[in-house]
Amino acid sequence: MKKVLLVLLAALAMQAPAVHANSLIAAGPTAKIAKSSIASSPDGEWNKLSFSGGPNVEVWTRDGDNLNKVSFFGGVAAGMPIYREANKKKAPLPKVDGAMLLPDIPLLLESTYRARFQVNRMAIDSQDVTTAGGRQAIRFTYSYVRDEDGVERKGEAIGTMVDKKLYLVTYEAPSIYYFGKDLEAYHKIVDSLKF
Amino acid sequence: MMYVRHFVRALLAGVLVLCSAQVVAQEKTGNKPGFSLKPGTVRIVLMRPTIRVGEQSTGGMNEPNADWTAQARENLGTALKDAQGQLGNVVVDYDEGTSSDGSVVGQYENLFGTVADSVIEFQFFPGNRLPTKKRKDTFEWGVGPGIAEISSLKNADYALFINTYDSYGSAGRKALQIFSAMAGVSVTSGVHWGHAGLVDLKTGELVWLNADRQMGGDVRTPEGAIKRVTQLLEGFPGRMAGVPVAVK
Amino acid sequence: MGRLTVAFGAAVAGVLLAGTAPPPPATTPFSTTLPPYVQAYEPTTVDERGLWMEADEQERTLRDSALVMHEDDLNRYVKGVLCKAVGQERCRSVRVYVLEVPQFNASMSPNGTMRVWSGLLLRVQNEAELAAILGHEFAHFELRHGLRAFKQARSSTDVAAWVGLLGAAAGVSPAALQMSVIGGIYRFSRDQEAAADMLSLGYMANSPYPNAAAADVWRYVMGEDDARSISRGLKPKQAYSSGFFDTHPASLARATYLQEEAMRQPHPGDYGAKAYRDAMRPYLARFLAAQVKANDFGGSEYLLQKMSGVEGWTGDLLFARGQLYRSRGNPRDLATASQFFREAITQGYAEPVVYRELGLSLMRNGEQADGRTALQEYLTRSPDASDRGMINALVATK
Repeated sequence: MKKVLLVLLAALAMQAPAVHANSLIAAGPTAKIAKSSIASSPDGEWNKLSFSGGPNVEVWTRDGDNLNKVSFFGGVAAGMPIYREANKKKAPLPKVDGAMLLPDIPLLLESTYRARFQVNRMAIDSQDVTTAGGRQAIRFTYSYVRDEDGVERKGEAIGTMVDKKLYLVTYEAPSIYYFGKDLEAYHKIVDSLKF
Repeated sequence: MMYVRHFVRALLAGVLVLCSAQVVAQEKTGNKPGFSLKPGTVRIVLMRPTIRVGEQSTGGMNEPNADWTAQARENLGTALKDAQGQLGNVVVDYDEGTSSDGSVVGQYENLFGTVADSVIEFQFFPGNRLPTKKRKDTFEWGVGPGIAEISSLKNADYALFINTYDSYGSAGRKALQIFSAMAGVSVTSGVHWGHAGLVDLKTGELVWLNADRQMGGDVRTPEGAIKRVTQLLEGFPGRMAGVPVAVK
Repeated sequence: MGRLTVAFGAAVAGVLLAGTAPPPPATTPFSTTLPPYVQAYEPTTVDERGLWMEADEQERTLRDSALVMHEDDLNRYVKGVLCKAVGQERCRSVRVYVLEVPQFNASMSPNGTMRVWSGLLLRVQNEAELAAILGHEFAHFELRHGLRAFKQARSSTDVAAWVGLLGAAAGVSPAALQMSVIGGIYRFSRDQEAAADMLSLGYMANSPYPNAAAADVWRYVMGEDDARSISRGLKPKQAYSSGFFDTHPASLARATYLQEEAMRQPHPGDYGAKAYRDAMRPYLARFLAAQVKANDFGGSEYLLQKMSGVEGWTGDLLFARGQLYRSRGNPRDLATASQFFREAITQGYAEPVVYRELGLSLMRNGEQADGRTALQEYLTRSPDASDRGMINALVATK
């Protein structure tokens, strides 16, 4: 029993997210976001979280990811989910398809949220084509509620496919007060985005 | 309001910290720089407290227990009523009245819980602070000025929000605690968190937050609830110095 | 707190307390004479009062939750079925809330709050099935089972539970939802389940509905779970222990037993299939849309197949099926999806969005010209669409 415990506790220590500090993103050119080719030049400070939820994900926040959250998905390859799966067999997530069309991107996000985050109310409110990083991309807005805290949130995102990989940047915050607070700062990130 | 994800994240982080034998401060108060409240000057509305009581399974997940939550709600309600008169300013219970504010006030209550958790996770908790929140005299948190529009809140200057979360260690969890102590590693059994926060109803700013991750007092008993309320309201702004919150 | 539970003889190792023995055969048949109902059920003991207050508090939060469906006609209809199932006298003390959660569930609190999830409404086929489930929940309430909560003892050597913590994060179990939505977690003892089953069979015997409906629903949900498992490469007919079955243990043996019990005193009646379909029709597309976005191909396909047995493949079902195949997106799926969308149109599916979905399927499948034509049709029929900018760009693509 004790031996099993020791093994378990060792496993627990190894698998727990490393508690190294969250780091500061200063204003100005920032490269290799989400360990990918994504680059941007924010015009103000952000905090980069040490915990992101997936190998291709990087999260920036000002007040904490449940209050404002910019997520960068840097080149999710075909056959991969955008977040790490809690259980590949019992709780699988939708996978990127190399031939995805731009309108398939919000659909992938919605299915992922419904499956992964107990989101039962979600709507894609608008979808437009735009240019980001010199490429054709989809810009979409959405609204949703996570059952976890019952807070109504809004989201705005830019997504595109490069070499059959998904690149996506989202901004999410509670509808009350927070979404509006840093929306302009998010737009500045998008304006200087490179994929 | 505590929820699964933060609990698991914080629990895992906490285990690692304990494994490396650091001592982590568990109780913290923050306020807007320069904020103070004179006794007898303002009207405070006490929002309905969010109370969750459950039991930890062996694996550490919380199983809500309605019996215990019910007991806690009753005990904490009584203790809070007693404490309200000791806070130095008029405190009234929130009453929706004939307004149809239920839904929007619910949204603000949910948002407050999220803000408080963010303060705790990203400013109070040393292992996880956001660099921009580490700077001296930084305490900029709030729910936004829209709260001033809510009719059923217009007759007060500040809103007091109280949240407590208790997950009592099960027999299995306690066994794990003993065994792991033998192995030289600490594992917590039982989780007792709480926070109390004061929001300026004109600006939505969070002017005071008191958070504690190792709260005392077994909320399932009347005496424990009094102890809990005392801790929650420790350092409440404007309280006359030397006046205890609870009298029993 | 009442909880929808079918305490079938425990087949679930390590989750339920009971062993693997089948349930005891009833020695007395259920009674068709119902006990007198105590009106205005007020809490009497200290414990009851506390739970009542807690249930009231949760109902307050529930009422303001974003998940509640406030449509009057839907709520009145569901309440109406409950009243036909248990009688007017009993249903007077109940407040029904329909929650927009695409999973199969219903529960009842000690203070008379009944929660029904939209996933349940999508899965039952007629009023009798709905009546059987709501009646079972009400039986727990009438018998005050929620107040004698059965706590499950967990073994301290439950290694699996510890390992489970490592991958915990946010799973898909309903147990992670806020208590005000889920209504609390209780597991009833086998005796309590048997008692609730017997009482609800008694309700059905006094209702316009046939007895047999209950077993049908249980068989369906287990079948759906099997289909989901198979499509995910898991073994079917395992211990039904995750998701819905966390709090609703099931086994085939029990479903059979329930059916046999019902057949001992058969009570024919009107299943109310058409009335049910008519009541759900305004919500069908909405419920189906949430279902097909849940990334559950196996379970959704099983559900759609079952639904098609009622009125055949209607436009709504074909549209949903098309979306299902389009989002799975395996090599042949896109062609299959296009076919389903075309059939939906033939069946009279009138929403412009079907042309959008068809167009996207065709384009993904390499049929650019036909795809653009369909997308153009969508834009023509829906000039104010919130995604017209994006779809326009696709139509213009060379």
